[in-house]
Amino acid sequence: MKNNVKRLAVATSTALLAAVAAQGISAQERWDTAGFVENATFYRDGFGLSKSRNTAQFEFSKEFGKKMGLSNFRVSGTLRATYDAVYDLNDDEWGDGAGGPRSFQNFGSTTAQALFGGNGDSPWGSSILGNAGAAAGNPIPPGFLFDVAGNPNEGLKVLGEDFHGPNGGVTIGVPVRPCDDDSRGCNLDDYMDFDTNDLRYPDFNDQLDFIRELYVEGSIPTGTMSELFLRIGKQQVVWGRTDLFRVLDIINPVDYQRHNIYDELEDIRIPQWMATAEYRFGAIGGFDDLNFQAVWNFDQFRPNNLGQGGGPYNILDAASFFRAMNNCWDNGCTVSNFVPAAAIGLTDDPGLLAADFAPGVIGIRDVDLPDWELGNTQGGVKLEGVYKSVGFSLNYYHYFQQLPVLRGGIPATNAFTGEVGVWDHLIAFDVNFPEVDLFGGSLDFYVDPIKSVFRVEAAYTQGEEIQNTLDPQLYSETDMFRWVLGWDRNTFIPFLNKTRAFLISAQVFGEHVLDHELEQRPLGVAGMPNWEDNYIATLLIKGWYKSDTISPQVIMAWDYEAGAGTIAPSVDWLISDNWRLLVGFNIKVGDDMADQSFDDCRTCNPFPPFTATPAHADPFQSGSVGLSGIEPLGRFRAGPLGSASQEDEFQVTLRYRF
Amino acid sequence: MFRKTLFAASLALAGTAAAQAATMEDVERSFYPYKDGVPTVDGLTPGTVLNAGNVDQFKEALDPALYQHVKDGWVEITVGETTSFDLHPNYVQATRDSLGKVSLGDSLGQINGFVAGRPFPEEPSMDDPRAGEKLAWNYRYGYNWGDNAAIYPFYWRYRDMDSGKVERTIKFNFHFLNYMHRVNQPPVPEFEDNPSELFRAIYVQVLEPFDVKNTQLLIHRHDDDQVADNTWLYLGFQRRVRRLASGQITDSFLGSDLMIEDFEGYNGRLSDMNWSYKGTENILLPFYNHNNMELATDLEDREGYQFVDFGGKGGCFPEISWQLRKVYVLESDPVDDNHPISKRVHYVDAQTFTLPRTLTYDRKGDLWKSWTIGQAHPDHHLPKNKGTGVSIDDAFSMIDVQASHCTTGQFKGQVDPELNPVKLFSVQNMRATGR
Repeated sequence: MKNNVKRLAVATSTALLAAVAAQGISAQERWDTAGFVENATFYRDGFGLSKSRNTAQFEFSKEFGKKMGLSNFRVSGTLRATYDAVYDLNDDEWGDGAGGPRSFQNFGSTTAQALFGGNGDSPWGSSILGNAGAAAGNPIPPGFLFDVAGNPNEGLKVLGEDFHGPNGGVTIGVPVRPCDDDSRGCNLDDYMDFDTNDLRYPDFNDQLDFIRELYVEGSIPTGTMSELFLRIGKQQVVWGRTDLFRVLDIINPVDYQRHNIYDELEDIRIPQWMATAEYRFGAIGGFDDLNFQAVWNFDQFRPNNLGQGGGPYNILDAASFFRAMNNCWDNGCTVSNFVPAAAIGLTDDPGLLAADFAPGVIGIRDVDLPDWELGNTQGGVKLEGVYKSVGFSLNYYHYFQQLPVLRGGIPATNAFTGEVGVWDHLIAFDVNFPEVDLFGGSLDFYVDPIKSVFRVEAAYTQGEEIQNTLDPQLYSETDMFRWVLGWDRNTFIPFLNKTRAFLISAQVFGEHVLDHELEQRPLGVAGMPNWEDNYIATLLIKGWYKSDTISPQVIMAWDYEAGAGTIAPSVDWLISDNWRLLVGFNIKVGDDMADQSFDDCRTCNPFPPFTATPAHADPFQSGSVGLSGIEPLGRFRAGPLGSASQEDEFQVTLRYRF
Repeated sequence: MFRKTLFAASLALAGTAAAQAATMEDVERSFYPYKDGVPTVDGLTPGTVLNAGNVDQFKEALDPALYQHVKDGWVEITVGETTSFDLHPNYVQATRDSLGKVSLGDSLGQINGFVAGRPFPEEPSMDDPRAGEKLAWNYRYGYNWGDNAAIYPFYWRYRDMDSGKVERTIKFNFHFLNYMHRVNQPPVPEFEDNPSELFRAIYVQVLEPFDVKNTQLLIHRHDDDQVADNTWLYLGFQRRVRRLASGQITDSFLGSDLMIEDFEGYNGRLSDMNWSYKGTENILLPFYNHNNMELATDLEDREGYQFVDFGGKGGCFPEISWQLRKVYVLESDPVDDNHPISKRVHYVDAQTFTLPRTLTYDRKGDLWKSWTIGQAHPDHHLPKNKGTGVSIDDAFSMIDVQASHCTTGQFKGQVDPELNPVKLFSVQNMRATGR
C-alpha cells in the first residue's frame, strides 16, 4: 500500500508538471537553480573517522505565472545525493570489520572466575546459566540456551561499551556490522535495518529520499490583502520558533543518523508528501497579519531515524539497544549479571551470573509501523498572526509519535517452563508509535528597553507513551507538556570587535511528564525513566569579521538533570562566493551515561516464582523490586547529550556552491 | 572664488520667518528651487572634472569627505548641468492642501495634523531650535520612492578598497510600500485595513549567492514614530522567521558596510536621533541622467537594462556626474548612548529631500563612513519610470574610510505598483517565499 502512495504522489507531481508544460512556457521564464557539493569529515577521539560524507545538492524552482487557476504557479524541488565513505574508510569501526568477540560480566562470581579465569567474564553464548552450564552437564531450563553456531561470537559489541563498563548491571551483545554483513538484529521490517549501501547512500532508499522536495504551489487571490495559498508535494512544513530542539516543529520526522541533533533541521527533517492550504487574511480586524493553515500529511508514516546499531550517530544509543534486543528475540543472546548465582543453587557464590537467553524469551519481536490508510494520515491546523507587534500562533496537530515506545505484553516463552504466554513485566516487546494529539502555541515579541527579542513555545500532548517498569506491560500513556523560552540579543563586545555586534541567543527547554510515576521499591526506584521535570539550556554566541566572511561561534548546551553538556566552537570561513570552509570541535562535558542508572527489570519477576528474589514479598507476583543498572534505561536519563559523552569530535566541512 | 548664491542668501530671510506659517510661496520655492536659476560657483561649469590637482579651487562646493577623496586621488568628479528633479504634482498638491495644518508635537517624534505631502515646506531657520526635526520629517514623509517602488534587482558588491578585489556579490530585490500618506496610486491616501497604523514597509529578498539565498528582511514602520519598528528576518537555511532586535539594525547588514539603519540615507525612527539644522549650502551632489552615463557592461539584464558602473579607488565610486545643488546640512546624533556612531551629517537635497550624501562618525568622533546615493532623473531612466516624479535611487557607495573597504550598490529602480502588492509585505509571505 505504501508503495502505492508513493507512486500516487510521484505520479501526481509528474502529472502536474506535465500539465504545466502542456500549457506552454514563455521563453523568458527561466529556472532558478542553485546547489552545492560538500565534504564533511569528522574525526572522533578514540574511534578515528566518524564521518566522511560527500553530498551533492541541487535546487530548482520556477514560476509559471497564472496556471491551472492559480496565480504565481510555481514548481520547486531539491535533490540530494549523499555518499558517506566512513563505512569504507573506517570499516573496522563502522563497517564490515566492526566489533568482534565479546565476553560478558559475571559480577563477583567466584564460580565464573574459576571457570573462565581472569575477571570471570564469560564469552558470548557460554554462560553458566546457559550453554556452558549445559555443556558441563547441568540441567539448564529450555529458555537459557541458544545456538551459538547461528548466532556466533563475532561482530559484536557489549551494549554501552563505548560509554561505560557493565558495573554489575545488565548488558547485551550488539551485532554492529551493517545488516548485509550481519543480519542479526535487523529483522524489524523497514526499521533500523540498514545494509552497507543504505548507510553509504542514505538518500537512495525505498522512500526516494534523494527527492528532498518536489512540490507545486500557487495562490487564488480573494482580495487586496487576502488569498488562498495551496502547496502539494514532498515538502517540509516548519512550525515553531526554536533552534536545535523541537517543541512545535514536529510535522516532519527528523533524521538523527545524519549528525545527531547538530545539523541544521533544514538538512535533517525528513520531507513528507503533504498538502497545505493556507488562507492569508492579511491585515484584518486588530491583526496586522492573520493566517490559517491546514496541513495534511498523506504520506506513509515515518518515525525519526535514530540511526543503526553500531553506527557512528545513534542518538541515545537507542538503535544499539533495539538491535541487541531484536537479536535476542530472533536468535537468543547473552545478558550479563542477570541472575544471582545463589538463585541457581550456587549458594556459596555471592556474585551475579550472565545468562544465555533462548530465542522468543526476551527481546524485541516486531515493529508496528502504521499501515497507510486514510485513517492513518496525519494533519493539523495553525492560526498564526501578528497582533499589536506580537507574533503568535495557535497549533493543533494529530500525528503518530515519532519516537518509538516498547510495548510489552506480547506472547513469549517462559524460560523455565517452555510455556508460551503473555507474561507481565517481561522484557519482550513490540515497537509501537502511538497516536498523539498536540495542542500548542507560540509567541515572539521585542522588548525595546533591553533590546531583546523573546520567543516562547509551548505544547501539550495527549497520547504519548513512555517506558514504565511499574506497568505490567512496561509502558504507559502520559500527557506531556513541553516549552521553550528563547532570548536573542545583539550585543557589542568591543574588545572582540568594535564594529560588529555578536549575536547572543539563549534558550531553555522544559519537559514535564504529567502522569509521571516513580516508586521506591526494596532495591531501588521503579517507574518511568524519564525525568518528571527536566530542562535543557542552550547558548549561542556568534560573531562576524571581514565582511561576514569569517564567523566564529560557540554553541553550548546543558542538560540539567543529566548533568551533561556540549561545547561546540567553530569557525565558518567564506573563502569566496563559491567556497566555504567550516572547522570546529564538538566536545562533551559533564556526566555521561555511566552516571545514570535505572530499574533494569532484572528483578521484575516475569516468570514467577522462578524469577522471584528475596525482595519479592509474594514470589508468585510479578513486578519490579527496583534493582538498577546503567543499561538499558540509563540512556533515557542521560539524554541526547550524556549518551553521546564519548563523541568528542574535530570536524571539517568544505563546500563548493554553484 | 566661490560665491554664495541667492539661495544661500535667502537663509537669513527664512530665519526671521522661523515661527511664521509656511506660505504658498514657500511651497513653490521648496519644490522648484531652480525655477529662477541654478546655483553657480566660479569656474565650476558643466563638464569640469575635479581632481587632486584642482580640487582646492572648489573646496567649498564639496562636502569635507568628498573633498578629501578627490584630494587623495581616489576619485575624479565630473560636473553636470544642474537640473530640476520635479516631484510628482500630486505630492506637491498634497503639500499645498496641508499648508498651515501641520505642526510639531511637544516631544521628539511627534507631529500633528499631517495628511500627505511635505510637512514643513518653509525654509529652515537657524533660529528655530527644532528646524532639524522639521527637515527630518520632510525626509521621512518625502516622495523618495513614491507610494511604492522596487529595486529589482539590486546588486551589492563588497570591495577591498586597497586591492580593488570584489570579495562578495549579493543580488537582492528590494520593495517599498507606503501604507499611509499616499498621493498617487490607489488607495489614496491610505490602505483601509491597517490596524497597527503602519506608515511604511520595506521588504528585502536575497537571490544570490547560495549561502544567503532566500534570506529575507521585512521592516514595518509605524506612523507613530515613537513606536518601535517591527523587523523580521527569514533565514533560508533555518526556514524560520526570526524577530530582529533593534541592535541588529545598527549592525552590519549581511557583512556589508551598511547597517539597516543606513538604508536610503537614514532608515530609522526620528525619535531615535537628535536632529540639528546646520545651515544651507550649495554643493555637488550625485544627480544625473542615468541614460546619459557610461554604464556597466558586466551585469546582464534580461531587458537590456544597464547598471551604473563603478571606478575610482578600489572601484568604490559610481561613474556618474554630479550637480551643484542646494542642500540643507542636517546633523543627527543618536539618543541611545550605546549606538555605534556618534553622529551622521546628512546633506539633504533641498528639492527632493533625498539624502544623497551622508557622513558617519564613529563614537570617538572620527569620520567612519562616506555614504553616497546616486539620484537619477526618472525621465531618463527606464521607460516605466518616466513621469513618475520620483528621484530614482540608482547607485550607492558606502566607504568605510577607516577599514579601507566599501560596499557598492547598482540599482534597477522600478516605480511599478505591480511589483509591490501589499501581500508582499507580510510575515507570512516570507515563510511562503522562503520555502
